[in-house]
Amino acid sequence: MSDRFVYVTYIRTTPEKAWNALMQPEFNKLYWFGAFMESEWKQGAPWKIVLPDGRIADMGEIVEIEKPKKIVIKWRNEFMPEMKAEGWSRCTIELEAAGDTVKLTVLHEIDKDDSKFIKAVSGGWPKILSGLKSLLETGKPLEDIKPGPK
Amino acid sequence: MSDRFVYVTFIRTTPEKLWDALTKPEFTKLYWFGASQISEWKKGASWQLAYADGRIGDTGEILEIEKPKRLVIKWRNELQPEMKAEGYSRCAFDLDAADGIVRLTVTHEIDAADSKFIKGISGGWPAVLSNLKSLLETGNAFAVPAALSSCNKG
Repeated sequence: MSDRFVYVTYIRTTPEKAWNALMQPEFNKLYWFGAFMESEWKQGAPWKIVLPDGRIADMGEIVEIEKPKKIVIKWRNEFMPEMKAEGWSRCTIELEAAGDTVKLTVLHEIDKDDSKFIKAVSGGWPKILSGLKSLLETGKPLEDIKPGPK
Repeated sequence: MSDRFVYVTFIRTTPEKLWDALTKPEFTKLYWFGASQISEWKKGASWQLAYADGRIGDTGEILEIEKPKRLVIKWRNELQPEMKAEGYSRCAFDLDAADGIVRLTVTHEIDAADSKFIKGISGGWPAVLSNLKSLLETGNAFAVPAALSSCNKG
């Protein structure tokens, strides 16, 4: 009884730079369609994703954090009732140096079959992570990608 | 009784450039860790993936081709007996363009549950497609990380 999404991308950067791009709101906004994550980035600290218009899209808590290698976030969507009803998901982001690149792995899982939430993040993560890779490698995000499900 | 791997990446390029990068051997070698696809790129034509050391890693046939939008390859690994025994897989490449960005979707599927072949390519595609994106956007592919060199062994 579970569903999951896994995505791996290799980025020509350092684990420290990729970590900063993930944790710093000003950096987030450039590739996350104007949204950003907000947290004190300590174990047990609250965590949320704030949309450009100020609404809270998702919230949760930092379950595990080991800079610049691994972060685990307890994560629930807050404004789509049918996703919120599915309860808490868990998102694990891992960074590993590989040659002159960083292997970035995102594993997002929930204890529910055929999850609407996992379906939604399966559309979102490839855009966000493609934009992050472009930003780190070229200095420019993929600003033209539309944030819709396709 | 089937298994599949799906990967989506967004690349700042044109469908024509991406199509060339996928189908021209001299281009493919730059990001596919020295490997190249060899085919006449017509429906029904034979297809093979030649590794950097000259071995033919995979063979098959072009099932569908619509330049520069969709390519479907019938695909079987030739070097690993347990993968070859799983029979033919099907690999579809779909290119959709909007506003200077191309969405590339690779769907690789096989009629076998818990497929060793799908497990193998699930490790390979993210590295190959990450490198393809880097090459098209920056002009440079990255060096083969030691951790990934097993991709070359098929």
